[in-house]
Amino acid sequence: MSNFSSIAYYIPELILVILILSVIVIDLIPSLQDLKFPVAFIGLGLLALALNLSHGVKASIFMDLIVVDPFSHFFKWIFVLATASILLVSRYSVEVEEENHVEYISLMLMILLGLFLMASSTNLLMIYLAIELVSIPSYILAGMKKNDRASNEASLKYVIFGSFASGLMLFGLSWLYGISGSTNILDIHAALLTNGNQFLVYMSLMMIMVGFGYKISMAPFHYWTPDVYEGSPTPVTAFFSIGPKAAGFAILIRVLYTIFTNDGSLNATSPLYDVNWTLIFAVLAAITMTIGNFLALHQENVKRLLAFSSISHVGFMLIAFTVIGTEALTALLFYLVIYFFMTLSAFIIAIFIKNKLDTDTIDGWKGLAIRNPLISAFMVISLVSLAGLPPTAGFVGKFYLLAVLFRAKTFYWLAVVAILNSIVSLYYYFKIIKSMYFLNEEEEVSSEPLEVNPYVKWTAILFSAQTLLFYFYWTPLIEFINRSLSFWNS
Amino acid sequence: MNLLESYLVISSILFSLGIFGIVTRRNAIAILMGIELILNSANINFVAFNRFGGMHKLDGHIFTIFVIVLAAAEAAVALAIIINLFKNAGSVDVDEANTLKG
Amino acid sequence: MYLNYSPIIIYTILAIIMVVVPLFIQSLISPKHNKGGSKLTSYECGEVPEGSAWVKFNVRFYVIALIFIIFDVEVVFMFPWAVVFQELGLLAFVEMLIFLLILLVGFAYVWVKGDLGWVKMKMKYAHGRYSKLSIKEEV
Repeated sequence: MSNFSSIAYYIPELILVILILSVIVIDLIPSLQDLKFPVAFIGLGLLALALNLSHGVKASIFMDLIVVDPFSHFFKWIFVLATASILLVSRYSVEVEEENHVEYISLMLMILLGLFLMASSTNLLMIYLAIELVSIPSYILAGMKKNDRASNEASLKYVIFGSFASGLMLFGLSWLYGISGSTNILDIHAALLTNGNQFLVYMSLMMIMVGFGYKISMAPFHYWTPDVYEGSPTPVTAFFSIGPKAAGFAILIRVLYTIFTNDGSLNATSPLYDVNWTLIFAVLAAITMTIGNFLALHQENVKRLLAFSSISHVGFMLIAFTVIGTEALTALLFYLVIYFFMTLSAFIIAIFIKNKLDTDTIDGWKGLAIRNPLISAFMVISLVSLAGLPPTAGFVGKFYLLAVLFRAKTFYWLAVVAILNSIVSLYYYFKIIKSMYFLNEEEEVSSEPLEVNPYVKWTAILFSAQTLLFYFYWTPLIEFINRSLSFWNS
Repeated sequence: MNLLESYLVISSILFSLGIFGIVTRRNAIAILMGIELILNSANINFVAFNRFGGMHKLDGHIFTIFVIVLAAAEAAVALAIIINLFKNAGSVDVDEANTLKG
Repeated sequence: MYLNYSPIIIYTILAIIMVVVPLFIQSLISPKHNKGGSKLTSYECGEVPEGSAWVKFNVRFYVIALIFIIFDVEVVFMFPWAVVFQELGLLAFVEMLIFLLILLVGFAYVWVKGDLGWVKMKMKYAHGRYSKLSIKEEV
């Protein structure tokens, strides 16, 4: 589709671009400076409206650079929800200084634009641009606390690991372009069906996986995760733990399923015939979840612990890549939604604790059950869900993922590893619960009640309540996901 | 050895030098230089494939322009971060950036 | 085909000779025991060298340079556009105007926040993010 006629399908992104520019301009006019947050929320509301109107549309726009399809639409909803809730919470966070608000909002919205493009690109150039559009503002957001050395270090590590990973990915993309002669992923698949060198296909696949694996913090590219999560301001950490990860999965699914999939119709001369990424992902999934869980065991910092826990959840989600098919994708997307709610509610409560008590160690959470019973109760629900126990949605999500393995009758050892890992993870989640609820007799903690900002409180409660809701009634969600699993070319 | 191959050899050498620089150097700015080398090796690949790989469209050249701009943006952000770290820690040595551990 | 490159080989060989031969001659004829005093100081066009060359540059240079590099590199997008924009017509022109408008917002941001100013000016006429700075009283 030509550029001009594509604009009609591109309205959500255009609204976002105008929103970013207007937030910056508003800040430059002294009399309007207080309107930053209201304008951002109104803009996000308009964006949600535009998204709702483009429901079910399928089109390949801007000369096949990006597509609009139910699959990208599903992810766009996750991104908008995550950004809106994080912006709402960060307004009341002490870690984001008043004078940096405009940079904070506009960088967050730029990442949102990058995430939108990541979920919908079908061209190597667009994939690279979208990943960088997410990465570069993320580096700055990680270092938002300018005078805090931990935050400086977090952003330094992020920028070095990140640009290294994207450099490797770019080199892989250049080889993929070289062996196929096109930057469009459909054309690449068509070219690789007939000619090409299998070694080169493997090499470029591996290098591209570095870039994507870094975005979703898959082992062995997870080193940056704990440091960046600990050093960044907590609202930013919360955003990193869901937004870029979901987008990384979206782009991974699109690239793997479009370019590298052997759907059984290939002849043996095709270089794709033996490219077997399901085995690679089975090994990586096992390594990722084990590393995440075992390193989480001895953590004393809540943000760091949640970072390792997010690595292990990524390991769980990678199980879906060991089987090719719609069922696996349904399980993955379902788990992603559940992960979104449980991680975000845990992080929002961590933001609240950091605001009130200026601590993020597990010991600092002592006696929270007395000081604010409501918030602690919902934290327990989120943690139980993260651990994957009934009666929470985390259990349903894990059940769906493992069911994929058992139904496909492959990789039983991976299922065993996953179950053992879930048992290990109980220990560190219950460490937090123990700190909140059980006190040693000789310990003295203050028992004065903690007040919660109503917006923060209700966002946290709403999100952790979802994890309960989806345990009892998840059919609508599964139906929505099944409807979303339709690509533009299918 | 045809022309495409010789360009690919140059880009592989640049790529390896970049990796070598990143792995061995401890100065944050030197690491950035290594990353720039990797990006430029990919650029050479794109242009060489486009010119000598029998392709009719200019995808590779366009890709290179975007990579150049993104590399500049990334370098600017990274340098700003390094300056900020230098203000607070007094050093740009990545080994001294070790307050986050565990 | 490789014969076309023969001038480069000749050029390289000549360049090596021109460097190596004078070095060899001067090592033969130069006095061996007069290397003290002003021979070892750094050369500053005949002036007596003053202070270390490793002075700290003002950090403002870096900020200006960072801003410059971004606006400088964006020009790369305009070269291909400038070559063909007559064939592309009005739409391409408008697209480039939008691109420049977005850059202009960035420029306005940098200007209003006071990042283009110089340090002393910033102390005296501070605005933007520097408005809280003040000149320290000399004792």
